[in-house]
Amino acid sequence: MKRTTFLSRFGLHATLAVLVVWSVLPFLWTFQTSIKFTRDVAAKEPVLWGYETTANAYRAFWLDADDVNMWSVLLYIAVVAVICIALGQIGRRMRHGWPWFASVALVIFAALWRFPKIWEANDEYDFLINSIVVTVLTMIISLSIGLLAGYGLARYTGISGAVILIIALGFRALPRTAFVLPYFFGAKEIDDWLTRTGVGSWNFPIIDFPGIDTLQILDTRLAIVLALVAVNQPFTIWMFRSFFMEVPKEIEEAAMMDGATRLQAFRKVIIPMMWPAIIATGLFTMLLAYNEYLFVRVLAPTEWTLPVAIVSLTGGESSRTITEAAAASVSITLPIVVVIILFQKHLVKGLGAGAVKG
Amino acid sequence: MNRRTFWGFTVPSVAVMLLLMVFPLLTTVWLGFQKLLLRDLNNPEWIGFDNYRDLLSDPEFWAAFRFTMVFVAIVVPVTMVMGLCTALLLDRVGRGRSVYLAALLLPFIVTPVVGSLVYKDLFERGGLLAWLWEVITDNPFAVNSGNVKWLIIIQAIWNVMPFAMITFFAGLQTLPEERVEAAAIDGADFWRNLWHVTLPHLRVLILFVGLITTMDMYRVYDQVFVWTGNRFTDAHTLQVYNVRIATAFDIGRLGKGNAMAVLTVIGIFVVLIPFLWRSYKDQIAERV
Repeated sequence: MKRTTFLSRFGLHATLAVLVVWSVLPFLWTFQTSIKFTRDVAAKEPVLWGYETTANAYRAFWLDADDVNMWSVLLYIAVVAVICIALGQIGRRMRHGWPWFASVALVIFAALWRFPKIWEANDEYDFLINSIVVTVLTMIISLSIGLLAGYGLARYTGISGAVILIIALGFRALPRTAFVLPYFFGAKEIDDWLTRTGVGSWNFPIIDFPGIDTLQILDTRLAIVLALVAVNQPFTIWMFRSFFMEVPKEIEEAAMMDGATRLQAFRKVIIPMMWPAIIATGLFTMLLAYNEYLFVRVLAPTEWTLPVAIVSLTGGESSRTITEAAAASVSITLPIVVVIILFQKHLVKGLGAGAVKG
Repeated sequence: MNRRTFWGFTVPSVAVMLLLMVFPLLTTVWLGFQKLLLRDLNNPEWIGFDNYRDLLSDPEFWAAFRFTMVFVAIVVPVTMVMGLCTALLLDRVGRGRSVYLAALLLPFIVTPVVGSLVYKDLFERGGLLAWLWEVITDNPFAVNSGNVKWLIIIQAIWNVMPFAMITFFAGLQTLPEERVEAAAIDGADFWRNLWHVTLPHLRVLILFVGLITTMDMYRVYDQVFVWTGNRFTDAHTLQVYNVRIATAFDIGRLGKGNAMAVLTVIGIFVVLIPFLWRSYKDQIAERV
């Protein structure tokens, strides 16, 4: 019923185009900076066209050697990406997609493992690995306990459920600073106790990971993961609860009439219906962990993740670090761009769900 | 679901929240009464309300307080109006909507510190906007303690506007077509339609976005820290001030930092308690 003239449509798209420029201009500029030579970056008048491009900044940020042909690195990444996309597409078309998705994870793991064996990687590569480990662990722990609690809170009608939900809502509004200082102090106290009693240097067969000889909390990825899981819990349980509320009770009741226990009904009947919710909540958890800055900076003075590594780069003022910081910014943003493109629908739905129900 | 099954399902999550949220908050209150230095963590000393007295007589605390208030008072309304306008525009787009959405969402979900860094690049020496400024006004542009506040505010708007946009956009999707049509038949033009149909429909969402954005801007840390570091103390928000006094190398005073955190929590709950109470009532009503 909306009749639009050409002129109004033009105006609409023109306005939106201006907004898009306002949104992405900083990223475009940073991308430009990251592929320029230092002399062009330092030029008094910005060089917008026809400059010579280089991958020096990327090489300097990620690799230890300065004679590596960056095209070969790009080729490596492209091949891995193509394999992953192909496997993912096959998985989406299959009735049981999970072996294909699992193999995507395996391919990524293998690629990350091989990379430093082919090229000599910098410390920043370790920070990338830290980022990935922290993000994946946070997602797994946070989502599994969140799913259980969200289900319980959606189905239970007692007062204690409402109390938990409201307290969680209150926690959701609190700043990181209210938690980071006691976390730091507590972790320090535990570490002191571990050293004092000697427990920290015991040899536990289970946690005897290579490269870890003393047990400690501060300055480990574990500390970051625990902190992130905790501050993410309120959001996760509210999100899952609102999705579970949409699933009619009758579905699991029918399964339970057929002799399934509640846990079986939950696992076999409810969870398979919840994948969109798990993906949406997982995306936000992923962004939270991947983007975290303050917790890492305070709780892990050397076990950095990428955001801290990037901020530390910009302490200096020379234009060499400007290009390097730009390359770092582009590198850390690219995965997020991929996520938006692949999961835009889930992101929008997740934001909408949080809003409409919360 | 009976009580035992309920606790079976919720215990892991509740345990995490008790151990890593309730307990740390109590620790914060306790630490707020201690004299505790970062370089000497083993000798806390009870000093009562001295940390609070110290804070409230610190001019930098009041500077941070003032800037945070100004910051929230500007960013929240501007973000909401811009978000609503953008959502209304997006709602009229047929083809190409997802391309616009992807581009417009980017500032919101990019790593906050990186968002600030790339924005800052535009204003650095040799940056695009710094150069434009120089061309237009004939003065060189440099980030200084005077303009950094405005840059922080503009960048924050850039950063959080997509949240308002996407929430309002989701709300507009649920607006029943019939009501718009009925209003159109009654001869309502765009503005009357907006005022009498669209805005009332979005009322709850407007409240929601306002509340969330206010909270998020009140506790903003990452974005501001990238702009200021430990310099430009005038442009520190409360959280940046808080982390600085607690963890700055050598002068870190953990006790004072915790006292500050307690004040922040009290400040937030004063605003939040009416909303929490209302949600609680809703929850109870929903259950019966």
